[in-house]
Amino acid sequence: MTAYAIRRVLWLIPVLWAVATITFFLMHAVPGGPFTQDKPLPEAIVVALNRRYNLDEPLWKQYLLYLWNLLHGDLGLSFRGDRDVAMLIRDGFFVTAQLGILAFLTASVFGLALGVLSALNQNGPLDYLGVFVATIGAALPNFILATFLIVIFAVNLGWFQILGWGGPEKVGEILDPSAWDVKKLVLPVVSLSFLPTAYIARVTRASMLEVLRQDYIRTAHAKGLAEQVIIIRHAIKNAMIPVLTLMGPIAAALVTGSFIVENIYSIPGVGRAFVEAVLRRDYAMIMGTTLFYAAIVAVANLVVDLLYAVVDPRVRYH
Amino acid sequence: MRAAKWLLPLGTLVVLLLVAAACGEDEEGTPTATGTPKPGVSPTAEAQAPPEQQEIIVQSAQPEFYDPHRSNFEQDIAIARMLWRGLYQLELTAEGGVQAVPAMAAGEPTVNGNVYTVKLKPGLKWSDGVPLTAKDFEYGIKRECDPAVAGPYQYLFWAGILEIVGCEAYGGALGTADEPKTPTDAELQALRDAVGVKAIDDTTLEVTLAAPKTTFTTVMSLWAAFPARQDVIEQYGDKWTDPGNIVTNGPMILTGLTAGAGGQVVLEPNPNWALEPKPALRKITVKFIDDLEAAFRAFQTGELDITNIPAPEIPTIKADANLSKQFIQVGAGRIWSVEMQMKDEVLSKYEVRLALSRAIDRETLVKVVYNDAYLPATYWMVQGLSGFQGNAAFEDIIGYDPEAAKKALADAGYPNGEGFPTLKITVTDRPDRKAEGEFLQKAWKEVLGIDVEIEAVDAKTRSQTFNSMNFDLFPGGWQIDYPDPENVLIGLFDTGGGNNKYECSDPDIDAKLAAAGTETDNAKRIQDLQEAETLIVTKLCGVAPIWQGAFLYLADSKMGGMKPNGQIDAAMPGNWCPECWFVKAQ
Repeated sequence: MTAYAIRRVLWLIPVLWAVATITFFLMHAVPGGPFTQDKPLPEAIVVALNRRYNLDEPLWKQYLLYLWNLLHGDLGLSFRGDRDVAMLIRDGFFVTAQLGILAFLTASVFGLALGVLSALNQNGPLDYLGVFVATIGAALPNFILATFLIVIFAVNLGWFQILGWGGPEKVGEILDPSAWDVKKLVLPVVSLSFLPTAYIARVTRASMLEVLRQDYIRTAHAKGLAEQVIIIRHAIKNAMIPVLTLMGPIAAALVTGSFIVENIYSIPGVGRAFVEAVLRRDYAMIMGTTLFYAAIVAVANLVVDLLYAVVDPRVRYH
Repeated sequence: MRAAKWLLPLGTLVVLLLVAAACGEDEEGTPTATGTPKPGVSPTAEAQAPPEQQEIIVQSAQPEFYDPHRSNFEQDIAIARMLWRGLYQLELTAEGGVQAVPAMAAGEPTVNGNVYTVKLKPGLKWSDGVPLTAKDFEYGIKRECDPAVAGPYQYLFWAGILEIVGCEAYGGALGTADEPKTPTDAELQALRDAVGVKAIDDTTLEVTLAAPKTTFTTVMSLWAAFPARQDVIEQYGDKWTDPGNIVTNGPMILTGLTAGAGGQVVLEPNPNWALEPKPALRKITVKFIDDLEAAFRAFQTGELDITNIPAPEIPTIKADANLSKQFIQVGAGRIWSVEMQMKDEVLSKYEVRLALSRAIDRETLVKVVYNDAYLPATYWMVQGLSGFQGNAAFEDIIGYDPEAAKKALADAGYPNGEGFPTLKITVTDRPDRKAEGEFLQKAWKEVLGIDVEIEAVDAKTRSQTFNSMNFDLFPGGWQIDYPDPENVLIGLFDTGGGNNKYECSDPDIDAKLAAAGTETDNAKRIQDLQEAETLIVTKLCGVAPIWQGAFLYLADSKMGGMKPNGQIDAAMPGNWCPECWFVKAQ
């Protein structure tokens, strides 16, 4: 198991190299550069700017230079304000991760509860409610949902605020209750977690229904085990395997941020920074965020694979 | 393999994002506007709220730099002008026009041939209390020209505008893309020393121009000519504009910064601000919100006091008794047109361009696409500039007239559009610009019977298309850098001009612009520029104007002291004088 985990971590290196290479050449192939604008700058100024950021070197040289700096942990400077890309990602990710983790917890708790309750009350009112919520959640894009939530709960009722993030700005403040502003947290977390809640609820329901029809559940009933014990110890645990497969990518997607939710609520997260970097041809930022995402997705997948072994004793890695 | 399993979705993600980039969003943050404030305007005419209430939150697009010499976009300049002040500043005249008046300078410059001598007011200080001297202005201007800084607005000091001797040679020291140069430190120093700016003593600055210019004080009021502190910049390097490091001479100082999208800056009064009035606001928090819909909603929830709003929300605002009272709409120094590639075989024909222009119902376009946010225009020199000629001068020549449009197309050899090739119109991929493209497409089809194909691309791709001159029809325009008519003409329509990507080339226009560039009699100069405009518009030399832009703001009714002006605002109502702003007593 340990050897497997180490092997998987080592695999990250060629993966990240491949991602870096593909991204580097693709981004330079897209028309327009960081200093392309409607009001064109005089050539001499563009030459000077290119020199400043080493963009006057041949592409292969820029590529090698980037890799060399990357090996030294230097992700370069964003063209937007000469800020250190690593620091921008760190700061953005700190916010995005809070939002993502809260949304993930919300989605997990409500999704699982809704799914299990639906399955246990199949064709009952609770089931219909669960299916209804799941369908709405899957059908409503989050920018529409967010707009509805904002208009109803912030603009009209005035219950919540919509500008900026309600969590701490520094790691040290996480345990400080005054760094958290619930009025700003609720709407972005709900907007971001609605779709995964619906998704988790649907898969949990289906999986639970399947498990509940298994022979060993019938056997457990025949043995006279208490209903609670059967559901918690036997049904839910087994029903979790497909749900868990789903939760890895969901966690990765939520934690890496959502351009739409971050944009609508003006949250200074990394999801937004990623998309804007591409639109602005902010090369170092594109590279930095892409590599960062690659690493996050890879790690999330690894964690899920390792968790399989915990949930299902039949799975063993070599 | 596991790795291969991740590679595919990751590769797909990257490809999707880059493809998204090729059909993406938002236009480039518009480079610039202008200006600076107005001393001696007392904000006390209306009662002010007590000091603890003098705090406001303002929306802005995300700036790149807080360094005036690297500022390139309107939002950068908006902050820079709140933090710095030049020798001169732009203010409103009694007639509603704009003029440059002394700020850090004690008075008008003394002119001796090409040499302009400016005396500074005595006792000026930086925000940290260190005396502000002529040396700081010399350093600031030389820094703008420095190729290592690569100041994007240094061309204000190059030939054609306010040519300071030696600036262009210094700024261009690294050569061109085809012929790059690597000057030695000694060569760079020699070029720097040759720039025609010199502090004679602590309060006297001498600026040597290539030729005398009437726009001297106006251009010297701009961010490119702001002073800078050599010791601070050398001590902190690229971090010199971070809170705690930055030293400024304007009404406000920068005390807080969260960089990046969704970030903010916090501005507080400069305790050493030399001019009057002193800022009433204790704190201005500028939030970076690029999404104007989000900003509009945050204004509704009371989380923003001042914001720009998107044109589609105008009907909502006008229908709301409360919002409509807080709505401000002022014509901006921005002209928008259909730009036409003059080297194109078809578009090189005057009658074709005339037909295209006369088929556009500008009033309806502005109404249906922009909710009447903007002003229909057949002129190029925007309203508010001296020499403004307006629609009256051009409406009958290039304005909407379907019959005249049809006739012009027939005269060009394409009766009823027969035999006319399909042209391409390149627009930014965002709803309003696409709607504008569709409006034009439909108008030309209905009136002229011709087809155009819409190409919607992201802002950078669009700009690249424009700069490479590889377009047929291109809705685009110009945002003024400073409120002088030369700024909307010189470099845009002269043969080979840096911004003349539609390749307008006409000896009469060249002659008028050249004459205006060297004319020292201001009235005569304005007349030359008017005549140039008349030639450009009536010949449709690369452009068919369609509308003049506007600033659309919402400002909380508690705000006082704002004097919004489209010529000198930079993305905030009246932020050419942030020291005039205050919160009214309730």
